[in-house]
Amino acid sequence: MKKLICLILALTMLAALCACAGKTESSPSVQSAGSAAAGSSSAAASASAASGSSSAAASASGASSTVYHIGICQLVQHVALDAATKGFKEALTKLLGADNVVFDEQNAQGDSATCATICNQFVADNDDLILANATPALQAAASATGTIPIIGTSITDYATALNLDNYNGTTGLNISGTSDLAPLKDQAAMLEELFPDAKTVGILFCSAEPNSYYQASVIEGILGGDGITCKEYTFTDSNDVASVTTTACAESDVLYIPTDNTAASNTEVIKNIAVPAKKAIICGEEGICSGCGVATLSINYYDIGYTAGEMAYDVLTKGADIAAMPIEFAPKVTKEYNADICQTLGITVPSDYTAIAAN
Amino acid sequence: MGIAEYFASLNFMTLLKVVPGNVAQGLVWGILALGVFITYKILDFADLTVDGSFATGGAVTVMLILAGVPAPLALLAAVLAGCLAGLVTGLLHTALGIPGILASILTQIALFSVNLNIMGKANQAVSVDKYALVLSSRSNSTAILIGLVFVAVIIGLLYWYFGTEQGCAIRATGCTPSMAKAQGINISSMKLLALSLSNGLVALSGGLTAQYQGFSDINMGRGAIVIGLAAVIIGDVLHSAIMRKKQNFGVRLAFVVLGSIIYYLVIGIVLWLKMPTNDMKLFTAIIVAIFLAVPYLKERSRSSFARAAKNGGGHNA
Repeated sequence: MKKLICLILALTMLAALCACAGKTESSPSVQSAGSAAAGSSSAAASASAASGSSSAAASASGASSTVYHIGICQLVQHVALDAATKGFKEALTKLLGADNVVFDEQNAQGDSATCATICNQFVADNDDLILANATPALQAAASATGTIPIIGTSITDYATALNLDNYNGTTGLNISGTSDLAPLKDQAAMLEELFPDAKTVGILFCSAEPNSYYQASVIEGILGGDGITCKEYTFTDSNDVASVTTTACAESDVLYIPTDNTAASNTEVIKNIAVPAKKAIICGEEGICSGCGVATLSINYYDIGYTAGEMAYDVLTKGADIAAMPIEFAPKVTKEYNADICQTLGITVPSDYTAIAAN
Repeated sequence: MGIAEYFASLNFMTLLKVVPGNVAQGLVWGILALGVFITYKILDFADLTVDGSFATGGAVTVMLILAGVPAPLALLAAVLAGCLAGLVTGLLHTALGIPGILASILTQIALFSVNLNIMGKANQAVSVDKYALVLSSRSNSTAILIGLVFVAVIIGLLYWYFGTEQGCAIRATGCTPSMAKAQGINISSMKLLALSLSNGLVALSGGLTAQYQGFSDINMGRGAIVIGLAAVIIGDVLHSAIMRKKQNFGVRLAFVVLGSIIYYLVIGIVLWLKMPTNDMKLFTAIIVAIFLAVPYLKERSRSSFARAAKNGGGHNA
């Protein structure tokens, strides 16, 4: 029994210790917001808004020799996300100098709960800035801190990701960044240009990816307005890609695949069904197009990562107010086509398209 | 990077500062572990519904909060939704005769679609700045406090419940179903009860996690059962090592939550050591394997055979 009491006492002390440590870790404004009431949301909001600008000002006054600590939280290993992180790091290394910036790069292995663990770590480290690569990473970072500036990248729509009302290009929070939103309107125009006779378009994507939903609904709105019937075909994971693609091919004239991670990993399966069925696929990005598509109007993830790096530089050194920084989009888009598949299907593309380099 | 440089880059103070976040996450996931404990240890039922019902809890909570329902009420609804999920698994198993592990897998994959329908899309954000959440990673000290209250109340209730006649009947069902049946216990209803209770707790944990991290995601339950089992096993091993023969059911439950906290502390330490995160799942597996293996190896070294071997095989010959 004595042992039991000892143990309980020890645990209580440990918990108390943790609670104290928890208070000292955060900057004063956050702490007051947190301890005032678990849920006084308006207080928390105003505190974060106020301190967001003050921390930006504080970092601006730093001399050029300061070393900036940047936490990078990436959701999962993925060609596109890796490219964005690479672009971000190269931009900051170039702008700040390799000696003045330290990156703490962490990957959540696709586990959204791990994003929270990683972001907690960054807040505890009191990093100067957090790069959140992909939606759950951004949400976890936004939840973990209302003061440390957060730059997002590979986020399709910030209003959806952060549940913002009256979104007009800036978040109004300690958050800004770059979007990977593909030029959907131009992609729809491309589809209509290449396939003027298409009556039904099947939109193929993974139901577990919020960004794909968003793109699908936008594309449907545009194509539907031009009198084309759209139908969604969603798969839940890699296992049912084949059967869903078969159905989609049977029921549509042309297929469209938005920027979708699961589709990107399964292009070979999709190609092996769509090409024999003689169905052309317009894709949201280059990676999917090089695997199974006919043509795409693609953005480059390295570019949006690089732009995010430049934004981070402005926040860190020039005292830019992150709350008022508009979300930026890919600086350039390119019309590309997949030469092999176009030849197999007998499709000739206009001369302003460039062939995707075989890799 | 040289070894000296690597050690210089580790800051012990940082590790201390990270602890509260890990403790908060451990407490919240500890509720899930308690749910897993009920099915895995008490009912002796490998219930994989958890991966689905955890996300259901998050989905229901977030959607209700977005619809303007106060967070505590939303959590209550999440618990009920989780109970329902457990009930489905139970009915598949008892009424339709599907083997337990298969029944739970069926419910788990069905819940994927259900969760998508609840949320309308794969991911829904709930911002601490806009809604009065029960807890958030914004303030870990509050989160720890709230987590402790939840855990204490739940452990108290479970301790009481499993001491009642009905609770004892559930325990008996888990120990020896045929004997329990012979005693006039309706083992089917006991399984239904335990599965509902367990998944209700899991959904509560999911609801709290969604608020803590500020969003619910269709994939948030993926691998939840592994974390739950790890916590249960770590807790149980520590419990038998520390308490030895003075074991007590309530303390055992507390150790399950402690196991969950240790699990998250270990993840925090792995991150702090700047280990490549690509290998994190491997580290996790190794740690759980150690906790599983140590009691077995210790037991084996104490057995009479081992002792005989140590004392020299020729002695008895």
